[in-house]
Amino acid sequence: MVEENSCVAVYDNHLQAEEAVRRLLAKGFDAGKLSIVGKGYQREEHPIGFYNTGDRMKFWGAQGAFWGGLWGMLLGAAFFWVPGLGTVVIAGPLVSVLVTALEGAAVVGGLSALGAALYSIGIPRDSIVRYETAIKSDHYLLIVHGDQGEVERAHDVLAGGDARDVTIHLS
Amino acid sequence: MNPQSAFFSESIRCLKQSALFSGLATSSIEDIVTRCRRETWKRRRQLPMEETWRRFHILLSGRVRLSRGNAENGRMITLFLLGPGEPFCIFSLLDGKPHDVMLETLDDVTLLSLPMDEARQWLDEHPEFNRKLLPYLGEQMCSLAGLASDLALHDTETRLARLILRHVDSATTEQHVTPRLINDLSHESLAEMIGSVRVVVNRQLQHWKQEGIVDAHRGHLEVEALQELVRRAEELPHKVPA
Repeated sequence: MVEENSCVAVYDNHLQAEEAVRRLLAKGFDAGKLSIVGKGYQREEHPIGFYNTGDRMKFWGAQGAFWGGLWGMLLGAAFFWVPGLGTVVIAGPLVSVLVTALEGAAVVGGLSALGAALYSIGIPRDSIVRYETAIKSDHYLLIVHGDQGEVERAHDVLAGGDARDVTIHLS
Repeated sequence: MNPQSAFFSESIRCLKQSALFSGLATSSIEDIVTRCRRETWKRRRQLPMEETWRRFHILLSGRVRLSRGNAENGRMITLFLLGPGEPFCIFSLLDGKPHDVMLETLDDVTLLSLPMDEARQWLDEHPEFNRKLLPYLGEQMCSLAGLASDLALHDTETRLARLILRHVDSATTEQHVTPRLINDLSHESLAEMIGSVRVVVNRQLQHWKQEGIVDAHRGHLEVEALQELVRRAEELPHKVPA
């Protein structure tokens, strides 16, 4: 069960997002409570693919090292094609939220599958629209799930870094 | 908040449109927004002021109700209903103490939040804000005084009429108006704003509906005959040109 409090940070590129994950882990945050969402490249010169080696999912493509590294640290991996957004890559517990939403056929009016997953963890619609726009613009979302104290502490860690935006969502 | 944030300009725009912050220099508004963090709270979030008074909050969207209750009989009285551009808790900002108030979000709300000390520092650095803050505080005090005197001096019909009129533009000449902030509240919430109970408010609204003064149905309230409502409120708080 993913907690319905979160701190969402928006990053311009994957290097910043990865650095933020490492900073949170260094501060003692639980890797099982971090999710990352980004757009997968579809350009012809950057072919991508997924494959499974044993118990670990691999990402092959322009950002394979980035996603491969994250999947080594975070729980869960997913690759979706979302209408309007294109290919979206997710790592962390948000994957199980999204899968649950899809399996339960939970439809939240006017929202994509990703939007429905974000909505189900307590993020309001107007923020979801902004986050989907950010993903569409090749930005990355780093989501810290937790109780109010945890997400506030995450805000303090992330607000001092490279994040373009850091918002706390409380239920 | 990072000025590069997609939410930064939206926050500035909201504050510029509010009664409390309008007219302030853009640089002053940018300064406070930069010091704030952005938060969203889900609808029906309830928390005692002891959990919030150490931070100063400014609503960007949605409504928040500040109320007091009696745990023994379950009755509530709403002290303030706040909308976009309004802060809480302004009293803790002034005296640095928690107050016995319960806070509840009536919608999904977006707000700016900063530590009280930081808010006081911003006030010190921007004394021009006092020209807005003092009249706002005066309004808040008048509102509380009005609530106290209404509870002591007037019957439910008058109190309900006054409540609705307080949420109607006092300059309007229209007879058909939609009250702001309260037009979609439940009858129970309306009752909690005038120290009454749901059945009494429901009965009064149905009575006015039959008289053609209001149109009240589930989750929606419209005034159909403003001048008559003013008469029911004893014409004190609101004046409508003939």
